Amino acid sequence: MNDLVQVVWSGILSGSVYGLMAIGLTLIWGAVRLLNLAHGSLYVAGAYAGWTVINVAGLPLALAIPSAVLAAAALGLVMHALFLRPMLGRPGWDSASIIATVGIGIALQAAALLMFGPRVKQIPAVAPGSFVVGTVRFSYQGLVVIAVAVVALTLLYLFLRSSRQGMAIRAVSQEMDASALMGVPVERTYALVMMISAGLAGLAGVLLSSIFFLSPTSGFTPMIIALLVTIFGGLGSVKGTIVAAYLIGFFEAAVQVFVGPRFALPGLFLFMIAVLIVRPNGLYGVPEAQRL
Amino acid sequence: MILEVNGLEAGYGVSTVLHGIDLAVQEGEGVVVLGPNGHGKTTLLRTISGLNRPRAGSLRFDGVDVTGWRADQIAEAGLVHIPQGDLLFREMTVEDNLLMGAYVKPTWGERQERLARVYELLPTLKDRRKQLANSLSGGERRMVAIGRGLMAEARLLMVDEPSLGLAPVIIAQVYERIQAIKESGLAVLLADENADHIEQLADRVVLLESGLFVREGPAETLLADEALLSAYLG
Repeated sequence: MNDLVQVVWSGILSGSVYGLMAIGLTLIWGAVRLLNLAHGSLYVAGAYAGWTVINVAGLPLALAIPSAVLAAAALGLVMHALFLRPMLGRPGWDSASIIATVGIGIALQAAALLMFGPRVKQIPAVAPGSFVVGTVRFSYQGLVVIAVAVVALTLLYLFLRSSRQGMAIRAVSQEMDASALMGVPVERTYALVMMISAGLAGLAGVLLSSIFFLSPTSGFTPMIIALLVTIFGGLGSVKGTIVAAYLIGFFEAAVQVFVGPRFALPGLFLFMIAVLIVRPNGLYGVPEAQRL
Repeated sequence: MILEVNGLEAGYGVSTVLHGIDLAVQEGEGVVVLGPNGHGKTTLLRTISGLNRPRAGSLRFDGVDVTGWRADQIAEAGLVHIPQGDLLFREMTVEDNLLMGAYVKPTWGERQERLARVYELLPTLKDRRKQLANSLSGGERRMVAIGRGLMAEARLLMVDEPSLGLAPVIIAQVYERIQAIKESGLAVLLADENADHIEQLADRVVLLESGLFVREGPAETLLADEALLSAYLG
């Protein structure tokens, strides 16, 4: 019984962490066909913005989270305006945009190194402490992460499904010319997607840097995990990414508890390889250009 | 005058497709541009709606100079363009496709009323409203494209070859719908490859060849001249 509770708790927590990391990445891919390899740096930027609000400005933690989201979203907007907008719709977009985002990512990392130094920092937990039921330890911060992830993912899903702007994002991703004929300003919609995606990276960064550590390069691992989750769920599918994040979380937790911690990663990769052999486009992936 | 086109030139890359087009559409008027394939009908409509940039010439819509405006700005001004190939949002339901037609700000607030009106006019769409657009037949897709256009607050409706790729029975229905829209008082500019279905709709007909207007006149006169039509349209 304790084992089962442990699996459920770890599964939901890891799933929420993975979902938060991956959702921004899948959104920008689905809408703009941009594989944003600066996503990890936006995650770090959000975390540092939060850290600055707490440790330099001396403001409460409650302000750090919105500041992190806003700072990352602003960076996303700058990224869009300076680098991506001039390349949009030009030939070679696929490779050029990937190279550009790698460059932006490295530049952001270097900026973080110059501004904050190489030493590892930590952001205090929103809710420190924990409680024990049976043999399972529940951290309050874990509960916060789960709550934020569930709320953020649900809001994003509803936003895309039924709001005016969210529907416009889906429309632009499916048929650009027709969207313009409906009166949708295509470039501004792209800018909006970039801001939402970056804001979600910032949210993940500030929230998860209290569980993990924060350094200029600490966005790399979350980004790789995000990539795995996104590919597993079907690149560009928001629903697929959410399902994949929790599935991976539960699978990892189950292997950890029932087989042993050292089998968690190899087991996870075997599982992913097996699924991708059966469904090469991921769980909810659709071949070709049908996304979001 | 709802639309005034003066000396319009447009093209792709090094090739020029339109060589100076002059065209005017009055309020409530039905104008049909006839011409064989590949002579610039689609380019003309795409340039008017802002999807293509004009190289020279000017566009006035509803009294405002819209030369060089983006497609979304021109759409917001009330020009509805039902494009060739329909360009539906494939992974969206029929209803979401229609709702996108009401994207422009003041229209969005009335989207449910407009939706009800479109369903009344095109009842087949109501039965299909939860279906994804890419699961529809060609005729149903055309109806969605027309319905999506009708969701907007239109001042002028442009339709590009509504009969393309449809079965004859359905073609008649499609023209009937466009005809009804025109009779409700909306100006219609339609591009077509043949003169088979436009008699009811057209007040004026222009013949487009190699990117130039070669003939223009009242529909009765031009459509009665079968020798002329067969010479141009084959």
